[in-house]
Amino acid sequence: MSPRSSSYGFIGEFRAPEQVAHAARELHAAGFRNWEVYGPAPIDEITHLVPTHRGRAVTIAMVVAALVGACFGYFIQYWDAVLSYPLNVGGRPLNGWPGFVPSAWEICALFTVYGGFFALLAACRLPRLYHPIFAAPHFERASQDRFFVCVPASEPLYDLERIRSLFMQYGALSTAELTQ
Amino acid sequence: MSSTALTHALEVPVIGPEQDFASVSATVSDLVLTRPTPLWWYVATGIAGAFLLLFVIASFATFYAGVGIWGVNIPVAWGLALANYVWWIGIASGGTFISSLFYLLGADWRNGVNRTAESLTLFAAAAAGMMPILHLGRQGLFYWLFPYSTVMGVWPQFLSPLLWDFAALLCYILNSIVFWYIGLIPDCATLRDRAQTRRQQLFYGVLALGWRGSARDWRGFKAAYLVMAGIMAPMVVSVHSIVGLDFAAGIVAGWHSTQWPPYFFIGALYSGFAVVLVLIIPLRRLYRLERIITERHLDVIAKLMLATGLLLAYCYVMEAMDPLYTGEPAKVTAFLASAFGHYGPTYWARNTLNIFIPQLLWLPAVRRNRIALCAIAIGIVSGMWLERYNFVVSALAQDYLPSEWHFYGATFWDWAILLGSAGLVLTGFLLCIRVLPVISMFEIRETIHAQRSASRTQAPANP
Repeated sequence: MSPRSSSYGFIGEFRAPEQVAHAARELHAAGFRNWEVYGPAPIDEITHLVPTHRGRAVTIAMVVAALVGACFGYFIQYWDAVLSYPLNVGGRPLNGWPGFVPSAWEICALFTVYGGFFALLAACRLPRLYHPIFAAPHFERASQDRFFVCVPASEPLYDLERIRSLFMQYGALSTAELTQ
Repeated sequence: MSSTALTHALEVPVIGPEQDFASVSATVSDLVLTRPTPLWWYVATGIAGAFLLLFVIASFATFYAGVGIWGVNIPVAWGLALANYVWWIGIASGGTFISSLFYLLGADWRNGVNRTAESLTLFAAAAAGMMPILHLGRQGLFYWLFPYSTVMGVWPQFLSPLLWDFAALLCYILNSIVFWYIGLIPDCATLRDRAQTRRQQLFYGVLALGWRGSARDWRGFKAAYLVMAGIMAPMVVSVHSIVGLDFAAGIVAGWHSTQWPPYFFIGALYSGFAVVLVLIIPLRRLYRLERIITERHLDVIAKLMLATGLLLAYCYVMEAMDPLYTGEPAKVTAFLASAFGHYGPTYWARNTLNIFIPQLLWLPAVRRNRIALCAIAIGIVSGMWLERYNFVVSALAQDYLPSEWHFYGATFWDWAILLGSAGLVLTGFLLCIRVLPVISMFEIRETIHAQRSASRTQAPANP
């Protein structure tokens, strides 16, 4: 079943989260791996059916950003007080670490939040203002009240009739084939 | 049958049971996209804008003539501007805390009010950030706080809480922007998809960055948001504790005490909760959002305010206990001066507004009465400002040396900065509610789904 070059994929529109969850489980059981669900809210019952490491990737990126931020925040202060401009104040230690912790923590927090933001954009390939999926009929409701399941043409098991009948079996309101 | 069982279990559902995904999307987006701008918005923005103009004028007057046009002098070198700073950063912290801590706790009521709280945070933190800069004698040199390599080879003193404060405030403002914006991305996608005109579609489309709402995107989004909330909650604790340390590390008799970090932070939460109430009570009525921001939201925030007020009452007792128990003459004098001296009226006014009057919140009838609730919350916001004013000014006015004692009185320009900063916050907030969704739609949809699932699983158990 070679994917047709002009086709982006096949999409089905659903009303209830439960229907989407059933359809998605069925797709997974049938061996499909590249399908995607679109919906207006992060409903765990649905999002956790999709095989992806994106959540973990973003979390790991944030942990790395946090460590980098903490080290960087501490290093600026260490560089100043110990290396660049050592100043002996009554014999106190130059590396007065307890006093360096608050600023290092704030910079760590800054790096974590910005690291998470940019990691999310990178993981989702955003910003990308146009995407073939936007051409699907009624897709404007994916951000309001409907759910969509899309099987891309790159899927090895891509078979229009099989997917259509599966979607209809779980109560799809409409189905359509998308072009590139 | 099941709905009565659920109602019984949850008292009142947090969102009207008739609401669904479509109705929430339509109600909240139409406020921005199709509803003509209401008259009250023009009136409120006009008034707030006038105060913002006053802020601009007062700032330029301060830049031009110097801080000498304020009432500050030695010994009271920290006047209204610093009280305003502590007050605004406190209000901002309360907003972030509602949004982040109650997200981590999974509180369902948080999703109706977090956008209001975050928008408030953004502008309150901006107003707070202006204060120390205005207060510097030479505003143009504020960048000396940055650890940049000067030709003189000197660096800031990183062991000073004032520099911690600089790092904390700067990072906090920058983080608040992202924390607010990331939650707006899916909602801007909804506005993009419901846009009536090409211009709206472009505006919200660009803000939404092309958000598609795929399950993989949501997984990444939830992971990022969870860690961000986990960072923001301790961050606000640290930010306002560091503000407290600014004072605690000083050698002024009335300030030199380790109790200020929690004292300041609890006050910050208190004023933040109160401002959120002051904003959402008129907002839900004017925008007819009573089915989304329900009585339950008001009730929960009122109870939280009461609990925080009791914590603050404990802090106030300790504030008196510390100097009186140690018996150190300068500390005792400073405390008695703040409570019974020249600034005594502000001490008792703050106790009345922050501690005595809010005890009315024990009564369910008062919590259900929106006018009374709003009035108590306005009282708390004012009381918190009086607390900051009394704290900053009184200790400086009557320090160790009686020969140095001198009372501070605010001038017109001091008041102009205070009122003007309120204009800045309100103008920003009003613009926000006009062009952006006032309620986080995707999180309300999550709550609706959770409410439905809960009622469905309860149904067989309670036939």
